[in-house]
Amino acid sequence: MDAHIRKVYVPMTETGFYILLCLQDEMHGYSIVQKVEAMTGGDIRLSPGTMYGSLSKMEKDGLIRFVREEDKRKIYVITDLGKEVLQLEMQRIERLYRNMREERRA
Amino acid sequence: MNEKKTELRWFSVPEWKKEEQYLRERHKAGWRFTGVTFPGFYHFEACEPEDVVYQLDYNQEGLAHKDEYVQMFRDCGWEYLLDFVGYSYFRKPVSEMDDKNEEIFCDDASRLDMIRRTFKGRVLPLVVLFCCIIVPQLLMQFNLERTINKVLFGCYVVLFVVYLLLFMQFGYQYWKLKKELE
Repeated sequence: MDAHIRKVYVPMTETGFYILLCLQDEMHGYSIVQKVEAMTGGDIRLSPGTMYGSLSKMEKDGLIRFVREEDKRKIYVITDLGKEVLQLEMQRIERLYRNMREERRA
Repeated sequence: MNEKKTELRWFSVPEWKKEEQYLRERHKAGWRFTGVTFPGFYHFEACEPEDVVYQLDYNQEGLAHKDEYVQMFRDCGWEYLLDFVGYSYFRKPVSEMDDKNEEIFCDDASRLDMIRRTFKGRVLPLVVLFCCIIVPQLLMQFNLERTINKVLFGCYVVLFVVYLLLFMQFGYQYWKLKKELE
């Protein structure tokens, strides 16, 4: 993983994280929006401008790749590089969570 | 036949928030936006007053893959209207929103990305023009003796000043926008 990828994606935005998490299965942008909405009980509703921008950026950076098109919707899936980045982020968030539990006062 | 009207407005490159607000207010007052033509004629037709959010995106890659780009917005309930000088216009009635403050961007990282895209697409070409034509011409005409050179020199001085003012305005507005987000 080169320095650029590390700098841009570790840590990454919540949007970016959910995109990579969902794209462990093949999926198009709007189904990611729906899945994230269901996963978060409607708290996180990803917006189309953000989704479109993030997907094209991640595709350019090689974190995800285009699989095929269905009804004008592009289907993507995570790449090996994307999995590597996701792994790093998961470790970071797990550590964050562990520390939060340990230090929690209230 | 609905009543129509046209208004002349000028929004500079980084002022899309102002433009969105302007279109929203018109719709609230019973004027639905139907189009914009050069250099800044905004066309409206009479409609039932409604609170409708207007949003602008600047995404050249989206324009190059228009079908899927527009489809993504449509899936999320945004009506695609038109493109004008690289900006794409979308709208969605507040009554159809779960979150009444919904926008086409949901985090600051993507809002900053949009600012960067407009800078690259709209301001950078002007900077190139400025550095590669206006400045060299200015210096060249200054060093030549004939009357025509004096006239041309004068013209380039005017251009030089206009461009410089434009860049300062852009710079200030980008800075303000970025500061709001940080």
